[in-house]
Amino acid sequence: MHSIAQKEFVSTLRDKRFLVLSVLVLALLLAATLVGRASYQTLQQERQLAQQTVNDQFRHQPARHPHRVAHYGSFAFRPRSGLSLLDSGVDSFTGTSVFLEAHQQNSVNFSQAQQSGSLIRFGEMTVAFVLQMLVPLLIIFLCFGAFTQERETGTLKLLLSQGVSLRQVAWGKIWGYSRAVALVVAPALALAAALLFGTEEFTSGADLVGRLVLFVLSYAVYFFLFIVGAVVVSAVQASSRAALVTLLGLWILGCIILPKATANLGATLYPAVTKAQMDADVHEEAQHGINGHDPQDQRSAALKAGLLKKYGVDSEEKLPVSVGGIVMSESEAYSAKVYQQHFADLNATYERQNRLSDWVGLLNPYQAIRPLSMGLAGSDFAHYVHFQQAAEAYRYALVQRLNALQTSMGYGDKERKLDAHTWQQLPLFAYQAPPLGWALPHLLLPVVALLLWAVGLSWLGLRLISNSRLA
Amino acid sequence: MRIFWLLFSYEWRHFRAAKGLVLLCALLLLTGLYGIYYGTTEMERQRQHLTTLPELSRRNVEELKVKFPGPADAGDIGYYHTTYAVHHPDAWAALSLGQRDINPYYVKLRLLGLQNQLYATDNTNPMKVLSGNFDLAFVLVYLFPLLIIALSFNLLSSEREEGILTLLLAQPVSPGVVVSAKLAFRLAVVLGLAWLLSVVGMLWAQVPLDGRVGTWLGLSTLYCLFWFGVALIITALQRTSAFNAVTLLGVWLLLVVLVPSLLNLGVAAAHPVPQGIELTIKQREEIHAGWDRPKTQTMNRFFALYPQWRDTATIRERFVWRWYYAFQHLGDLAVAKQAAAYANGLQQRYDLVEKLNLLSPAINAQSSLNALAGTDLPTHLKFQRSATAYHDALRAFYYPFLFRKVEFTHNDYAREPTHTFTSQPELSTALRGLGKLLLSVGVVFAAGLLLLRARPINPR
Amino acid sequence: MNYILEARDLRKEYPNKLALQGLNLQIEPGEVFCLLGQNGAGKSTTINLFLGFIAPTSGAAFVNGMEVAANPLKIKEHLAYIPENVMLYPHLTGLENLALFSSLAGFKYKEAELLDYLHHAGLPAEAVRRRVGTYSKGMRQKVGIAIAVAKHAKVLLLDEPTSGLDPKASNEFSQLLTQLSAEGTAVLMATHDIFRAKEVGTRVGIMREGELVDVRPTAALNAQELEQLYLTYMHN
Repeated sequence: MHSIAQKEFVSTLRDKRFLVLSVLVLALLLAATLVGRASYQTLQQERQLAQQTVNDQFRHQPARHPHRVAHYGSFAFRPRSGLSLLDSGVDSFTGTSVFLEAHQQNSVNFSQAQQSGSLIRFGEMTVAFVLQMLVPLLIIFLCFGAFTQERETGTLKLLLSQGVSLRQVAWGKIWGYSRAVALVVAPALALAAALLFGTEEFTSGADLVGRLVLFVLSYAVYFFLFIVGAVVVSAVQASSRAALVTLLGLWILGCIILPKATANLGATLYPAVTKAQMDADVHEEAQHGINGHDPQDQRSAALKAGLLKKYGVDSEEKLPVSVGGIVMSESEAYSAKVYQQHFADLNATYERQNRLSDWVGLLNPYQAIRPLSMGLAGSDFAHYVHFQQAAEAYRYALVQRLNALQTSMGYGDKERKLDAHTWQQLPLFAYQAPPLGWALPHLLLPVVALLLWAVGLSWLGLRLISNSRLA
Repeated sequence: MRIFWLLFSYEWRHFRAAKGLVLLCALLLLTGLYGIYYGTTEMERQRQHLTTLPELSRRNVEELKVKFPGPADAGDIGYYHTTYAVHHPDAWAALSLGQRDINPYYVKLRLLGLQNQLYATDNTNPMKVLSGNFDLAFVLVYLFPLLIIALSFNLLSSEREEGILTLLLAQPVSPGVVVSAKLAFRLAVVLGLAWLLSVVGMLWAQVPLDGRVGTWLGLSTLYCLFWFGVALIITALQRTSAFNAVTLLGVWLLLVVLVPSLLNLGVAAAHPVPQGIELTIKQREEIHAGWDRPKTQTMNRFFALYPQWRDTATIRERFVWRWYYAFQHLGDLAVAKQAAAYANGLQQRYDLVEKLNLLSPAINAQSSLNALAGTDLPTHLKFQRSATAYHDALRAFYYPFLFRKVEFTHNDYAREPTHTFTSQPELSTALRGLGKLLLSVGVVFAAGLLLLRARPINPR
Repeated sequence: MNYILEARDLRKEYPNKLALQGLNLQIEPGEVFCLLGQNGAGKSTTINLFLGFIAPTSGAAFVNGMEVAANPLKIKEHLAYIPENVMLYPHLTGLENLALFSSLAGFKYKEAELLDYLHHAGLPAEAVRRRVGTYSKGMRQKVGIAIAVAKHAKVLLLDEPTSGLDPKASNEFSQLLTQLSAEGTAVLMATHDIFRAKEVGTRVGIMREGELVDVRPTAALNAQELEQLYLTYMHN
């Protein structure tokens, strides 16, 4: 078996066509790594600079009323994760910044996709793109003749007459091809690792190492199952041409048609609410109370009455606190609660839409590696929602803190301002991307799908090979 | 000619016998129908969403009528009243969705500064927009070339590999006629499918029967012809079926995937867009500085631009709405240059792609179809300009109330301007695309025929 | 000059091999010329040059007085060809294949006539309406013979036509050739089969390394002498 692997490895390397293709793929991989890094750098710098600017602006506000500051607000910029230089996932299609202010939750704006024409819809040149779509194609070109060619030239019978089994021949081939593929992919991943850990711009740590290791492992499994799959198809099909056409057909179905079809089907099956409708609903429920109970003016009146009772006074002027601040704080809490429900509903809808594609991952390895890869790279939908929630949590805390400041100003606060140094004591937005441990549970389904494929193919596929024709 | 038709009719029999190819065509027909279904339901959904917006505005007005039972200060109304600038799709949008799922198709507007409202996005599922739209344009631009490849990769090589070609060419039949009969048959199948799907799509989407029907059919026909030209070149090289399949798929990958993604990188690098975020940050600074500036300074700057309100009462109050809206608007004007640069930058990117899309007929076809349907960036920029004009109209409506201190009554809600914008096709872009496709078709066919002439068909 | 086939200094060179060196050959109507020689001796090259499938490096091939290279289509009207391994469209029946190839050659036969040709070529009646994909090599060869005969060509070019035929069918084929030759058809046949060559040939030519080394009328030799002659050339 070892000698078969060696023979495949050597003859692959001697095959000019393979050399040309793999040099192309390797060049694309290296280029994509460098391009990914360059775009990572520009975007990251842009966002860091913008975050720095708005933070400075926030801290250097003049003396203002706290509610003015709440409306002046701040911006949250989404920093890119280190591994997103390998797989930018949904990053180009999500907004980069959100304006944080009192009373309302704004949309995350200015996505890359909005800043380019329909060109971006053809796909982006990232390392993940090359690994997910082009390397499988390389594997197909490499392996489609694995058995058919030996059968057509008659060498298969010669091999078997030497006393090796078909299964051994298959494993030998798989091992040989695996080495050839590793030779193509490894340099690019090594370059990526060197960029990630060798330079200072990335905050390297155990988390990043863990993510990269799992990233590499997932792709190893992905390539392995493509190699096994291609060898199995080659053994089962009658001619090289039939094997090639079958494999290319499967590639087109799996990598081009199914992902798009399932994403679209998901969106059709589980329609999501528009931002306009959602805002109106949130407003409605905040005004009139959830399910029509507790309308806002009743809540405010009760709050005011309670305050008067608590401090044992009979008019607002005599209160030590600002009623405006307290009412504002209560209504912010109420509307944030309402918003959170709607936001959770919306994300649940999106997750249902995306789940469909994840389940199809059980049928189509491409749809298993894609979410896994971007999940590990920290550029998937879950990480994006995590950012949105962090921004909303910060917005809420900031606004409530400003409401508390207003409350403490007492009656007649509207006529007065707070000192400029007050704003320097408020916390700034600092986004901490979630650790690997947080991301993994989201990725369970794709991991299971990939492993099922690998095991299933090795077991069922190889049985098929044992039963295939010899001539 | 007799021999041509004879071979053509036998191609039909070969085709019928090849179950796989028939299945493939049926599958493509189904995916095309799904694409039309998806596109029309998606546009139907957008239209339906757009019809709910007036209802949301009406609910908002109801609420304001309760909140302000009597005549109100127009400033309060302007602050609390929300209205929408709406971007209705053209009927053709259902066949080529373009960027309509990424760019918002409505903008929620209040009387406040425009620039921090104009770029708000709608709720979108990023995973879905990443995967892209499965519309008819996708089927035509992405999948039809694959069908053409599947039908023609072994145009002659299969006959050579099966050994039939020697017997065939021992007859008084010129290889050119054999190749052209085979190509013509496949062309008939593919164009038949493309036209059938296009016509079904047009009927389903109920497009108006104008010149665009011809343009759409012309674009899809030329695009298919281009791929047949590529197949002709590969056939003329007279290599094995496996080589042809790999090479054709490589060309597909190059033109449909690699060139667009590389071009996207190049264009982004060539025209760095001044980030939109810069302008929103700057506008916020301007507006909030407005609170702290002396009121006379703000008003004088405003009056310099709108002298018709100069003779209004001097502001002595701590807060008055006309002053508030004046500095909101000045905030917009302060970033007018950035806003224009942002929009121009996007347009320049688009224009550069337009210039370079000769590199890949796939890009050309896609952007031409989008232009035809009015679903690409230029249409969105037009909508943004239209929304800006609407905001101007709103200001013009409210200013007399604010500056002349006219009370806003319940009857005035109905007099507020409303907005509607419907996509217009970018016909000139589509027609230029047609011309460029014609050029591409000419080039590949010329190359294919030259090659065929330079290397006579070898039957073995 | 009433040669139906003629080669003048016909030469074919490949980058690494000289396939045919200056062949001169004249064949008259009614002649059956058999080319003998080992694999790679230039027999198939000669036939392919007459068919115009390959272009000569120098010299010229003539069919019915027309230069092949200048009249690639015209000359094929006079030629019928049976390759060593007749391959046909597998999903058409034998009858349909014959109909296709005859109509390509410009003949419009009725079905009864087509059946007749197949019958004469020796194809069993039950096979006529079966798909060629189910045929044996011999059956395909018979359809190939029917196609060639139905063309009523002045020249028959045969490249190992009897390989794959059983002895009975081979014998029938020999009779067919004799009959055609009597009707004035010229035959150029490449073969390994010395005895068949002696039986049907009017002349035999022996080829070695791209050269026609000897030409003899078969009437002047018996089978043993021919074999002796052949072996002499091969071992020299």
